Amino acid sequence: MKTIKIIYRLLPVLSLWLAFTSCSNNENSDTSAGLEDGKSTVIKDLAGDTNGSMGEGVDGKTKKGFDTFLFRFSDKKQIWIRNAADSAQYLKTKDWDIAFTGPYNSEVYVNKGSYEFNPGYGGTATSAVVKIDKPYAEVDTAPSDEAFAASEINKIGWAVNESAAGWFFYSLNTHIMIAIKNRTYAIKLPDGKYAKLELINAYQGNPPTVTNLNWPAPYFTFRYYVQNDGSKNLNTK
Amino acid sequence: MNKNNNLVLRLKFNTIKHIYFLFPLLLFPVLIHAQMIIRGSLTGKITDKNGQPIASANLILQPDMHQVQTDKNGYFTFKNIIAGEYNITVSYIGHQLYQSNVQIEADKKNNIKIILEEEENTLKQVTVYSKETKADNLLDIQRSAMPVTVITKETIAQMGSRRLDEVLKEQTGIAVVNDIGGGARAVGVQMQGFGSDYVMILIDGQPMVGRNSGNFDLSRISVSNIERIEIIKGASSCLFGSEALGGAINIVTRHGAFQPQALASVRYGSLHIVDATLEGETPFHHQRGSANISANYYRTDGFNTDPNFLSGGTTAPPYDDYTLQGRVRYRLTENSTLGASGRYALRKSFMEQIFGNNENQNSAADSQNITDINASVTYDNLFDNGLRSMSRYYLTRYVSDMSILWQESGSQTSAEKFAQTLHRFEQQFSYAPVTDLKLTAGLGGTSEQMDNRNFNVPGGMWSGFTYLQADWKMNDKFEAVGGFRYDHNNSYGGKLNPSLGLQYHIIPKLTLKIAMGSGFKTPDYRQRYQVFMNPTANYLVIGSEILRATLEEMKNNGQISEVREYLVNQLDQNLQAEKSLSFNGGFTYTPKKNIKLDVNAFYHNISNQINSIRVATGTNVRDIYTYQNLPKSFNTGLEMSLSIRPLSGLDISTGYQYLIAKDRGVMDSISNGTGAYASIRDNATGLFRKSRLSDYFGIENRSRHMANLRAAYNYTPWDITGNIRVNYRGKYGFVDSNNNRFLDQYDIFVKGHFLLNAAIEKKLMKQRLSLQLTADNIMDYTDRLMPGQPGRVLLLGLKYRFYKE
Repeated sequence: MKTIKIIYRLLPVLSLWLAFTSCSNNENSDTSAGLEDGKSTVIKDLAGDTNGSMGEGVDGKTKKGFDTFLFRFSDKKQIWIRNAADSAQYLKTKDWDIAFTGPYNSEVYVNKGSYEFNPGYGGTATSAVVKIDKPYAEVDTAPSDEAFAASEINKIGWAVNESAAGWFFYSLNTHIMIAIKNRTYAIKLPDGKYAKLELINAYQGNPPTVTNLNWPAPYFTFRYYVQNDGSKNLNTK
Repeated sequence: MNKNNNLVLRLKFNTIKHIYFLFPLLLFPVLIHAQMIIRGSLTGKITDKNGQPIASANLILQPDMHQVQTDKNGYFTFKNIIAGEYNITVSYIGHQLYQSNVQIEADKKNNIKIILEEEENTLKQVTVYSKETKADNLLDIQRSAMPVTVITKETIAQMGSRRLDEVLKEQTGIAVVNDIGGGARAVGVQMQGFGSDYVMILIDGQPMVGRNSGNFDLSRISVSNIERIEIIKGASSCLFGSEALGGAINIVTRHGAFQPQALASVRYGSLHIVDATLEGETPFHHQRGSANISANYYRTDGFNTDPNFLSGGTTAPPYDDYTLQGRVRYRLTENSTLGASGRYALRKSFMEQIFGNNENQNSAADSQNITDINASVTYDNLFDNGLRSMSRYYLTRYVSDMSILWQESGSQTSAEKFAQTLHRFEQQFSYAPVTDLKLTAGLGGTSEQMDNRNFNVPGGMWSGFTYLQADWKMNDKFEAVGGFRYDHNNSYGGKLNPSLGLQYHIIPKLTLKIAMGSGFKTPDYRQRYQVFMNPTANYLVIGSEILRATLEEMKNNGQISEVREYLVNQLDQNLQAEKSLSFNGGFTYTPKKNIKLDVNAFYHNISNQINSIRVATGTNVRDIYTYQNLPKSFNTGLEMSLSIRPLSGLDISTGYQYLIAKDRGVMDSISNGTGAYASIRDNATGLFRKSRLSDYFGIENRSRHMANLRAAYNYTPWDITGNIRVNYRGKYGFVDSNNNRFLDQYDIFVKGHFLLNAAIEKKLMKQRLSLQLTADNIMDYTDRLMPGQPGRVLLLGLKYRFYKE
């Protein structure tokens, strides 16, 4: 009987505890909330080629690959490369800062004419990018020009391992792209200015965790800051 | 006298049989005579333990709901009752509920004496039905070597649950989980760490088919016509063959009654849930046959657990389910019975999921139609020498048509239609050479076809099997159950699975139990022949049998940029059956009549587990996968349950499971520092460090701790029952978010949570009418990482039983 009495006494305690612990959850919080810092530009849900599809003969959206698009930081301009004329007009110019290529536009390049597989190959732009594994806000200076010159980073896509410079991980269980948190890219732009970039999400609405295999993609959320005075100061605090 | 009676009865039956075949029309008067003989009466006296008569005690005979009260001298009489086995319940204020099985013999005044104990709080024992009620399966699942949990229809009725998943997810060690990689509709049961792929679902001992990425959606099954649910935890291939690698859940449907009766019930409430049931049972042909039919309609609006990101639509699918179920039994002769049962279920589901808004809105129109048919015929024959034979034929067919359309662009993102058909014949025998030893043996064969527009299967799959089970009570202290089963599959050859369970009653209050068993699962069609493209997630999976051929073809079309040749050489047409070994050990302790404690430790070792592996990279498709056998994984833990009855009418039970589920391959990779497993990234600092074995949390979706607490109170004078249930699920891994392919502290976890449910029921009009209020998830706890768990659901139910007094 003693045990029973103890259980009786515990019941109200348990129910009280339940009342206080049952309804809390932080997954619902808006992940875009902390992105604005007053200096950086935050791009939310920039639609990539949402009509693209993978593979041939597959029940995809329009049975074609994904069109590349370019992005210019200064005026937030998205430039589509739909055909040969677009390619000729834009690719080899210094009019773009980053390019979103490949499956789901998930492979990002800076504008670097010297690299064979860069969309701007053969152009005059000499951008470079350095990966910094630090929170975006804490990256307050651009690396040295030597560091930029030495950087071998070309494609920023799926980070298959620790040393890869990619911006997302890819889960083999859920087949979902997961952006790498607190990874920042310092970029030397075609016009010589320094910038920093954080790629935040490829899924519509910038959800903290993607819970559905068919969550609409690619919709890019990212933020960047360009130091217009030409200095290496990237402080956005 | 008695002997003579039986003799007369037997003679009559023989006469009936012969006349039946010769002159069916002349039979009528004879049968009416037989009907009179086949009834009996039950009289008795109820006293307290001092021998004083108890007046006005309530007696109920089930399944026909005959009710009487004792007179002032404690006597009662049930008159003109059809012969058969009944369950008698006696209730009287201040005394314990008395429950027992009674045999009412034909043409006889059966007399019993019942002594009601005073309220000294004894646990209500689940009545284990004797063999008479095993209508269509001689294998006694409740006497399996592995631990068995039985959920009775009374428990289900008290919970007020509608679908099978709702009942099961409140059981110790069982969870219902969403498989994100399988799409929004992939939901399955998890048991002692085994995923849904490894848990076989049976209806009346026959396997059910129809899975979505390996997941069996239990919400397809209405609980309205269920007699009981038997759950075996641990490898049970010894009983059921392939697929029962991690356990089995057997649904036993209702048998016919002795007297015509019907039931109508309806529930309505939150999410516009409607649960409507009509049931009828009747004997026919003067008690020689019985028939039972049940129709159920269920609908729900579904639920959106993610309103912040889904501006419209639901994460848990809305659906309309129609189920029609029936069973007929007919006694051909005194010793042989022919039975047939059928189930037809239809699901129509259309789920909308709206992401974004205005010009950026994307709404997915996800539809699924399911048709599910189960049919079986049994012939049961008892020979004079005591040998019982059961011949069973079973057919099941499952057709699923799924598609997802993006409504704005009109483009289809996925579509899958498949049909699966299974035929099964089984011949069972049971024999008890001596009273304490019971043998059950059987043999049979299965043939299975699969039609899928995405792949063709050459021929079908067939398998043959034979088994022998023994149930031996050696003496007062030792009991043993065990046996073996041999399966032969046309593609995977032979597999022998033994099992053995021992019980040792050290003292009457304490019983020790140990058991071991093995299991296996042959790769399914999907893993062997399907070429599955997921355009949204951008991957292709190629079945192992056609791996090389498909890759060659793609290469010729210029769709391949890189192939891991050594893997292709190793994996092409070389997928092995998965295997498991289960060990259980524990004890049952009943210190007092009103306290029972069960403790059981389990260890399941799984080898050759099938998992996907990347074998190639495409020019357009990013990743091309096939299937491989992984070395080993294990689930181990402890399960405990405690039941107490502090007061008459009040039952409190609690259960707890501790579980560790880990993949040995991952553990080796961490120890050896292989590839991505070598390092761990702290997402907060962005820093990498070397990973340690202690960083490994375990396999996704498995909670370390799960617990439940249930209190039920039955106040007989008012015919009111109420219960309150709390279920706890400890935190579990959702997805690896730092790319080392295993779960560590920096990954995404679903938070531990409590779900609170309650139900109250009041019976009126001599228990004919019942009113029930059901409240599920009272605290309205939802999490966007649990897309299938709806918020608070309140339902009001009304049930009416029609029967003759």
